[in-house]
Amino acid sequence: MIKKHALIVLSLLFIVAAFLPLNSVAEKWKPETLPMVFLQNDHRFVCNPDGVLSDSAVARADSILYTLYKQQGVQTVVAAVKQLDGDDPYEFGMALARKYGIGNKQSTGLIVILATEDRSYQILTGRGLEGTLPDAMVRRVENRIMVPLLKNKDWDAAIVQTVDALAKVIAGDTSIASDDEEDEDFGVVMGLLAAVFVGIILLMMLIGYASIKKCPKCGKRAMQTVSKKRLNRINSSTWLVSKTWKCSKCGHTMQTTEKENDNINGYSGGPVIFGGGGRGFGGGGGGFHGGSFGGGSFGGGGSGGRF
Amino acid sequence: MSKTLSKGSITLIAIGVVILILIGGTLTTYNGLVSKDEAASTAWSNLQAQYQRRADLVPNLVNTVKGYAKHESETFENVVAARAKATQLSVDADNLTPERARQILQAQGDLSTALGKLIAISESYPELKASENFSELQAQLEGTENRIAESRRLYNESVQTFNTAVRRFPANIVAGIFGFEKKSKFEAQESAANAPAVEF
Repeated sequence: MIKKHALIVLSLLFIVAAFLPLNSVAEKWKPETLPMVFLQNDHRFVCNPDGVLSDSAVARADSILYTLYKQQGVQTVVAAVKQLDGDDPYEFGMALARKYGIGNKQSTGLIVILATEDRSYQILTGRGLEGTLPDAMVRRVENRIMVPLLKNKDWDAAIVQTVDALAKVIAGDTSIASDDEEDEDFGVVMGLLAAVFVGIILLMMLIGYASIKKCPKCGKRAMQTVSKKRLNRINSSTWLVSKTWKCSKCGHTMQTTEKENDNINGYSGGPVIFGGGGRGFGGGGGGFHGGSFGGGSFGGGGSGGRF
Repeated sequence: MSKTLSKGSITLIAIGVVILILIGGTLTTYNGLVSKDEAASTAWSNLQAQYQRRADLVPNLVNTVKGYAKHESETFENVVAARAKATQLSVDADNLTPERARQILQAQGDLSTALGKLIAISESYPELKASENFSELQAQLEGTENRIAESRRLYNESVQTFNTAVRRFPANIVAGIFGFEKKSKFEAQESAANAPAVEF
């Protein structure tokens, strides 16, 4: 009985322990610990680990930023948290930029940081975006849109409207555009992969054809195994087998004896290889694929402050 | 090749191979040093460009503040003088001695301090503080200070890479032959180049 009680107490402790992190004090986020949602799903740009923003606000911001990403190649990261380790949104944003290389080859990355309990915010522009979004323009968006909403603690509206305003400014600049090159590169890579794949299949068919026995009578590669019988074991994994062959073209039959490896399947490895392939393709189906940052750099442009 | 090679020709071939390896190694090392040297020079000119950018902001900033705070002439004069001094000092990365680096850092640090005092004026002039124009100029100044810090970090990093390459064996021999010398880092010393002190 004592053992049973101890077990129940222990399992209860485990359950409590499992829920503890949720109830503990808000984490002070470091650039290394902040979960980067874009890497899991290239439709998502808003990191909202503390639930500062509502789901609908995150969805709206994500959709604005996805359009921005697709149309002008601007990779944005929004981090809405309660507290930052070190309480320095500028350094935090720069560290994120350095760690992930946010932005494409043109360095048109954009970072928006909001720390609600630190009461601080920061917008950082990548080197390639400094001309489109000069510091003064960033400050104007902050002064006119972001800060008044932050002062009202309307985090949702502050982020959505700020992101919307920034996206509109960027959309007005036609000199930056999505990396079409990258898509071409991607196409070339996919084309090569397809060619290699087709090549492998052709090669396998050829090997398969070559391995079909020639009929001694009509000379066509059309001999098929009709039946086979294990005669005796040669060693632990090899059998001596007697096979009956029949030509599918001329109907000639013959008998052979040969060695055969005792595979678990009774067949060669072929089908096993294909079995793996199916799973590989299945993984991508249904879900979104993760994004990758393009190695953009930030030179310290942008603007931030406290509210 | 049925005939065996004579001892003399084997020696010659061996010497030839060694010389080829030596030349190849020297070339690679030399080219590596050149590109690291160039990286440092580029980083240096970027840093200078950011200093220039800040200097270019000064007249506009001073005029804007003047519009709201006419009686702060001493602060304005300090800023203008510090700017003049800072823009006089410029040098290319190759001629940068530690002494010269200290002078530049001192001058730029003085300009930072003077600008910090100029910005601090806004605390006593609510209209200036509320002005959108001033706020945006301030954002440009802050952004430029950040860019200077970032450029300086990148310059020091590239110098670090270059200096390590120059001192490593056997690259140090190549560096000695072709006259690559260690570069000075550009680091704040004691009181120089502090962030602008804000006084209330």
